[in-house]
Amino acid sequence: MSQTILEAENLCKFWGGLKALNELNIEFKDKQLHSIVGPNGAGKSTLLNTLCGAYPATSGVILYHGKPITHLKGYEFCRTGIGRSFQKTNIFHNATCLENCCIAAQQRIGGSFNLFRKRSTNRKIAEIARSALEQVGLGARADTKATEVSYGEQRQLEIAMVLATAPKVLLLDEPMAGMGHEESQTIISLLKELKKQYCIVLVEHDMDAVFELSDLMTVMVDGQHLITDTVDNIRNNPLVQDAYLGNDDEVF
Amino acid sequence: MSIFANKSEKIFIYLFFAIGLFIPLFLEGNTFYINKFSTIIILAIFVMSLDYLVGRTGLITLGHAMFYGLGGYIFTILAPEYEAVNFWVYTFYVMLISGFIALIVGLIVLRTSGIYMIMITLALAQMTFYFFADSIEYGGQDGLFIYIKPETSIFGLSFLDLDNETHFYYLCLLSLFNCFVFFKIIMNSSFGRVIDALKENPDRATALGYNIFHFRLIAYVLASSLAAYAGYLFALQFGFVNPSMMSWDVSATALVMALLGGLGSIYGAIIGSFVYEGLHYFIEHLTEYWMFFMGALIIVLVLTLKYGMAGFLNNLSGGKRS
Repeated sequence: MSQTILEAENLCKFWGGLKALNELNIEFKDKQLHSIVGPNGAGKSTLLNTLCGAYPATSGVILYHGKPITHLKGYEFCRTGIGRSFQKTNIFHNATCLENCCIAAQQRIGGSFNLFRKRSTNRKIAEIARSALEQVGLGARADTKATEVSYGEQRQLEIAMVLATAPKVLLLDEPMAGMGHEESQTIISLLKELKKQYCIVLVEHDMDAVFELSDLMTVMVDGQHLITDTVDNIRNNPLVQDAYLGNDDEVF
Repeated sequence: MSIFANKSEKIFIYLFFAIGLFIPLFLEGNTFYINKFSTIIILAIFVMSLDYLVGRTGLITLGHAMFYGLGGYIFTILAPEYEAVNFWVYTFYVMLISGFIALIVGLIVLRTSGIYMIMITLALAQMTFYFFADSIEYGGQDGLFIYIKPETSIFGLSFLDLDNETHFYYLCLLSLFNCFVFFKIIMNSSFGRVIDALKENPDRATALGYNIFHFRLIAYVLASSLAAYAGYLFALQFGFVNPSMMSWDVSATALVMALLGGLGSIYGAIIGSFVYEGLHYFIEHLTEYWMFFMGALIIVLVLTLKYGMAGFLNNLSGGKRS
């Protein structure tokens, strides 16, 4: 059995009176792809944002390798090994693809407070950045400006930037959002490779992709954990069918 | 890779400093124009530091003149009244003390951003302005005089006489050059990489593990102490300091110059200062209503030149925008 890397205990995130996350308990294991699904407004994105430190939790604990990290500041989550990609493409448009990854890699390598060393002279950073680009299949685009690559490639770059930070956990927020079928296939085969090395938490609306990729699935409804199980069990679970197709008219 | 971002910048910098070096020879001791150029060059240093802050770091301030004024006041207050002190030693003091003040101020103002940061920097600058304007000890509205200018010897060797207009001009030109090179170096550095990132997308920079507050603080301290250095030169040139140096319209005018030159281009600060002051000088001689025409002209320039004069030059030389 693989080891649990990241877990949440009684995690709550309230927006005023709205309980976006309500007493959520969940754990993520190494080298598994664990997807989170649920109707719109179930709190999937909030969960990711809380797990990566972008939103401070209202209460509850986040454990990384068994150590609580809830008190850390937003930027410190990345340093502990939790990398996240964004739902909306969130890259540095004016920089080249390589430079985008260099920014990500430099955080880990250090020297960011060096006012005088030319950024281009740090080989180590460029190497990490280049290998991250190659990992997602963007090696040929290294010197192209991020605005000039296609939308699908920007989504790949988004993931490459996370990889360049050398994370243990990848929190991926809809990596296939707005993609065509072929572009999605690229990401799917990429994620299949990545899950051999990383613990991946995936929030995704493309259910075919989710069923194809997931080792474990969690269904969330109204900020609460409904069920966590394997893909086959989830498919046939009446509770899940109820949540999606039942009383609410919320259909994916 | 050279330090220049594009061809037009390279050409401009070479031309500017080449002409700058020889211009006193043509003016043949016409001290009025030499002084005028010195003043604009000092202004360009100030505008450059603001341009870095606003254009490169994305921190918009309306209180930058506070450090300009403080630079002058720090020197005048520290230096003994009737004794020539060493210019370089006091350059160090002025920049160190103003840097320390900027650190404290930065800790406060950098907690805000956007319009709030504009307001809070403005408020702090006005507080400082009125502190000096109302103080009896520091001369109130009249400010303080500098009776004896510093000497500039290094290890007993002195090349510059600050009372000599031409010498002072060369000191200003050298300062501007150093300032430009300094900013280009930090822009190309590892630090500059983070600054570029957090200007474009602070949230992503945070998600990548950078504490953007620290980087902004360093940029703020650097820019502020260079503004203070410019204020120190200004005080030396005119032999006095007064609160009007740190009035809010000095900050606003500098912002217009930076905008005119091309925000974030650094060398645009030199163009902006010279174009603004040049226009000012010529229009002032043509009509009483120079402010009116100047304003109209600036509006036209800002609207037509999207990336300022620097962007215009870059287009002329056929370069891509960087």
